[in-house]
Amino acid sequence: MKLSSSMAYGSSAEMMFGFARKPVETKQGLTIGGGYVIPEIVPHPRPGSEKTIKTLLREFERANFDALERCVMVGHPHLVVENEHVYQMTANPGWGGEIAAQSVRQTLEFKDKYGLKSAYRSTIADIRKPDMVNLRDSEPTSKVLESFNECAKYSDIISIESLGGKEISDYSLIRNDITGLLFAQAVLGGRDMEWLWSQIVKIAKKHDCIAGGDTDCAQANTAMFMAGGFLSKDIPHTLAALSRAISAGRTLVAYECGATGPGKDCAYENPVIKAITGVPISAEGKTSACAHPDLCGNVMGAVCDLWSNEAVEYNNMFGGSTSAVFAEMLGYDTAAMNSAISLGYQKEYQACLVNSDRYRGPHGFMLCPDNAWLIGKAVVDNNESMYTRARAAADKCGKLMLGDPLLRMTAFEKESLLSYMKEMQSLPDKEEDFIDLCLSKYGKVKGFKPASYGL
Amino acid sequence: MKHSPNSSRIFTRYDINIEVARPKIRDISEDKLLQKVADCVVKGDEEAIESAVKEALKTRSPLKVTNEGLIAGMKEVSRLWDEGIYFLPQVILSSDTMIAGIDLCEDKMGKAVKKKPKVVTHTAEGDIHDIGQVIVNALLNAAGFDVINLGADVPVDEVVEACKLHNPVMLTGTALMTTTMTAFPKIAEKLKELGLNIPFVCGGGAVSEEYVTSFDLGIWGKEASQAPGMAEDALNGLSWWEMRTKWNG
Amino acid sequence: MSRLAIAMDIGTSGLRAQALDLSSRDIISTVITTRHPLPGANVIDHIHFALEIGLETANRIIIQAVNRIILELHINTEKVVRLAVCGNPIQLSLFQGIEIRDLAFAGKRKLESLGVVSPEREAVITATRNIPGLNLPAGCDVIIPPSVCHEIGADSLAMIIQTGMLEKDETSLATDYGTNAEMALLHQGRVFTGSTAAGPALEGQQISCGMLAVPGAVSDLNSDISCQRLIVLDSEMIPAEGPLVDMSDGSVIDAGSGVRPIGITGTGTLAIVLQAMESGLILLPCIRTMDSRLHLTGDIFFTEDDLMNAGKAIGSVRAGHITLCREAGIGLDDIRTAYMSGASGTYVDPVKAQKLGMVPPRVKTVFQVGNTSLSMARDLVFDLSKLDLMSSLADKLREHHCLFAASDTFKKVFILELSYWTEGMPISMYRKFLKKYGFPDLPPPGATPEIVHTVKRDIDDLGRMGLTIIPDIGGKVRATMEGCTACMNCVEECPENAITIIQEADSAAVTLDQSLCSGVACRRCERVCPHKCFDLSRFFCITSEELATPWE
Ligand code: B12
Ligand code: SF4
Ligand code: SF4
Repeated sequence: MKLSSSMAYGSSAEMMFGFARKPVETKQGLTIGGGYVIPEIVPHPRPGSEKTIKTLLREFERANFDALERCVMVGHPHLVVENEHVYQMTANPGWGGEIAAQSVRQTLEFKDKYGLKSAYRSTIADIRKPDMVNLRDSEPTSKVLESFNECAKYSDIISIESLGGKEISDYSLIRNDITGLLFAQAVLGGRDMEWLWSQIVKIAKKHDCIAGGDTDCAQANTAMFMAGGFLSKDIPHTLAALSRAISAGRTLVAYECGATGPGKDCAYENPVIKAITGVPISAEGKTSACAHPDLCGNVMGAVCDLWSNEAVEYNNMFGGSTSAVFAEMLGYDTAAMNSAISLGYQKEYQACLVNSDRYRGPHGFMLCPDNAWLIGKAVVDNNESMYTRARAAADKCGKLMLGDPLLRMTAFEKESLLSYMKEMQSLPDKEEDFIDLCLSKYGKVKGFKPASYGL
Repeated sequence: MKHSPNSSRIFTRYDINIEVARPKIRDISEDKLLQKVADCVVKGDEEAIESAVKEALKTRSPLKVTNEGLIAGMKEVSRLWDEGIYFLPQVILSSDTMIAGIDLCEDKMGKAVKKKPKVVTHTAEGDIHDIGQVIVNALLNAAGFDVINLGADVPVDEVVEACKLHNPVMLTGTALMTTTMTAFPKIAEKLKELGLNIPFVCGGGAVSEEYVTSFDLGIWGKEASQAPGMAEDALNGLSWWEMRTKWNG
Repeated sequence: MSRLAIAMDIGTSGLRAQALDLSSRDIISTVITTRHPLPGANVIDHIHFALEIGLETANRIIIQAVNRIILELHINTEKVVRLAVCGNPIQLSLFQGIEIRDLAFAGKRKLESLGVVSPEREAVITATRNIPGLNLPAGCDVIIPPSVCHEIGADSLAMIIQTGMLEKDETSLATDYGTNAEMALLHQGRVFTGSTAAGPALEGQQISCGMLAVPGAVSDLNSDISCQRLIVLDSEMIPAEGPLVDMSDGSVIDAGSGVRPIGITGTGTLAIVLQAMESGLILLPCIRTMDSRLHLTGDIFFTEDDLMNAGKAIGSVRAGHITLCREAGIGLDDIRTAYMSGASGTYVDPVKAQKLGMVPPRVKTVFQVGNTSLSMARDLVFDLSKLDLMSSLADKLREHHCLFAASDTFKKVFILELSYWTEGMPISMYRKFLKKYGFPDLPPPGATPEIVHTVKRDIDDLGRMGLTIIPDIGGKVRATMEGCTACMNCVEECPENAITIIQEADSAAVTLDQSLCSGVACRRCERVCPHKCFDLSRFFCITSEELATPWE
């Protein structure tokens, strides 16, 4: 696999929501990244419904139907429906496949009946627990691959939220250990992604399905959620931002293996990915508050191609089922963006989104298109190894944060950031040396098996 | 891309605001001389307090120096401690400094400065563990109460006598030993006999809520930091029973 | 025919005894108990019990326990001609059955109002018959060493003598790291003593998963690649390698070879605090894990309250050291040699103890000397002249005893400790205050000292017949409570699980384990009984016949 060495965009000024350098077209003729933003609804089954395939089919049937129907009701022209697998759907690969078949049928029905353009994405659950099994060779591993096969038969897009490196990142996060995060996310995560994605891409090709993309949800989002809002003090937001910068190099591996996008919604690192690769990305922010709060609710829309709600449990609200309600909200969000495009106000609208969150916190700051592009540049300029590019990204991110006086940090966050920067500087330059160091440092962390990563 | 020059209507950095508000020792008085007095209290500068107070007393009334310099400075110390910026030894030092300053003002006036009402504090008969009491004293002083400190190992009758003499709004007791805490119900009993229904806050490692609330007048004090709030309640006329309902259970 | 002797240490948290052969000077057997037979966890609880239930009863329970220990030594008691008993003044007074009220209330004013006259507590050699109930031949001598004052007893004299510190001309400090933490500072021929009542945390009590040093107890931790290797006492009480764990969630990386850990000793507690502070899992006063606890394995944990208790105990020791240095007019860094005694002092890693502040920062040598109380008792039975040595030392110590209770220095320093451990005051501010007060400075630890283990374990030689551990030294006493409906309220209320109830034909029998009960300061069982029929004293105020052999 060749590590990316160039940027898809000459500068951040060229990056805009709704437009990707390499748009993707689905089987039903929906173009993603082709000049407009599309809502992506993600309903989640209620607990209990996962007991049998029958109850699951019924649950998704309702949830997906409600979303599609609401789009027609209020006049949204397009929609992507994503179903993220609960454990059982991947553990029984046939289940995921059956649900995908049913869902695609639903989207076709809406196309036939009303002309609604829609697409269906299956996101396979990574049921390989890094601290329990060998990621490359275990029963869960074969289930995951089999699941991809089953779903790719029907779905328009397939994706996953892979877990490689999580055993070490969890360990490192509560210890505020940047070295551990680099190792977990870049070295381990990257290697696992390479192994996994080269296979996913093959499967997708075989079934003429789109290999969407991955996310470092398991690691960078854990950091982001733990850093929390302005009231939490356990993990500095600056560490979460560095973890995000590191995650870019990890998520990038999917595209280097041949994935084409659209990227996964919860990959907050996607603006960096888009800057490097030009693939369309999904993103989430204010309308995913149903799933978790974040400090970048608007800015995440700045360069998105799909706009998602992350996950909402299927339940009833005054305005209908959650699935319908969120499809409606997402659709109006994107309608506003698309209006801006058609009026030629997209730059202004983008400026509004960016200014909302640029200085709200480190995450919002580093994910603004200009900073995301610069971090991406650091990634491609340091492509000797997955480690070097991740370290360079984190370093760039740290420097950007320290360099803009308008980004304010608490003393704790600033001090922590300075100490991470110092620590990163003291790390070896070569990946081999770094791996040696980390194997001796983290060799005994519970459940860590170098073999999972071919080390 | 344009950048908004002002973000105040866009978002509020509560984290930074809290922090910015924090380490700042706030100015207490616009009057330079009084500010200097307050400064000595805030810094716990026992050496400089004398000259600062004397200097201020040349031109300002003892009452003004006390209220707007010494007590106001101590209030700031309490705030700093509440916010976790100051630590106990600093509070105690400041409290001592303030008392030294008040003594000077009282000398000048020839009588006691009128403070908030009295609170009698003691450590139980047979017990010398008075550190909890030392902390309670400092915090009550800081809150402006007139603390009658009976010290440690105080016999039951002496506590009762002191209550008769001073008629405090509140009585506190500290006991760290299970053998000495038994003095508390005895004190409470005697006070009741005398018709002195003084709220009696008992604290210290040995005593439990269950124990203290098993006799009349008793209110359990978990943390020394509760003492000023409890004394305020007593000052506002809450009965021991109302105080117990509020602070215990 | 060989004559035998018994050496015994009556400690607050348990008793230890050895049978000795007077002619060959061999140790025959050793017995330890895992608890003290009286209810409660500290001397005050024991005294409180004696005050409320009666000195005679307390004395009898102790004698019963001593008898049981003698039985477990498995020797022919007919041949025993000497028993030497060492311990603190409270335990020795309870053993003798003499006045204890002067020990109960340190406040002078209270003692005056009670009209208590302190007994002399000088060295005595008496005959068995003067200690009623003791199961030893009538002619056997009972040797009881002297006390210095109410808080410095024969156990402290033992420490000073057994360490051999007096024989060397250097500034040294001996500390018994126990509940009462007695300490002695030798400087230019003068000995300054003090006692800090550190609390039972140093002996693994008042800690959620704490326990005394018994097989299975975690006595130390060694950090091993960002995880912790637990050191667990094996059946011979020798520290062995146990599981390797990640303290943040208790996951076990490898199970190790040794005994399965069942709890944490005082030294284990210290090691946890230090290792977690060093790895950033503790940022005083908080534990920074998901559930604010540290985990040693699935079921052994350490809470923020435990941290606070440990901190107070550690802090009171350091405050004591600083106070003694100020008395002697020296700095902490003038102390060249440290002696660590007591169970905790033997098993604790001196380097860790030093990092935590319990060993002076610049010592060159640390001696770990084991249980000096027991070895003193051993020396006494072999050589009666040691008793005079103890008496003359006691006189000498009275000159420079520092009553921490009356010391302003101690009070001020302990407040600094409280602030450091419970408020997170930085050590730099601690030092600033020391300077401001004109107290000795607290420099950070210097070069690693040389460590000399004079013993391999707390009790070095267990004798040819080895060690017997008595886990149930307290009597289990049964009583029927008139009016009891077996509602089980008392059983559920008891925090120590000391009560069991057996429903019989027409009444219910309540059984209480005396050594589990936390004592007369608790009495929750009585308060919760709906029929007010539970009477705690019933389990203790019983005739000796009833209690004859409670353990059978
Ligand atoms: C420091 C200490 C000492 C110092 C005391 C110095 C001094 N001037 O106070 C010295 C070394 C002198 C000492 C001596 C003794 N001690 Co001592 N000591 C301790 C120790 C380590 C800490 C106690 C302490 O100061 N805590 C800090 C203070 C701040 O806590 P506190 O008083 O509980 O107050 C807090 C709350 O309770 C509350 N509070 C308290 N009062 C009030 C009042 C109000 C109004 C409110 C709202 C709140 C409140 O606020 C505070 C926190 O915010 C404890 C062990 C431990 N780990 O806790 C043993 C301990 C208290 N001591 C004990 C003993 C036995 C003794 C001795 C008898 C030992 C001996 N054999 O000689 C002697 C003599 C004491 C006597 N007769 O009076 C025992 C008591 C056991 C029992 N069941 O009763 C303890 C528990 C240790 C133990 N387990 O063995 N001791
Ligand atoms: S509840 Fe009763 S039996 Fe249990 S510890 Fe307390 S006093 Fe002892
Ligand atoms: S609480 Fe009273 S009635 Fe109930 S079981 Fe206990 S002794 Fe019997």
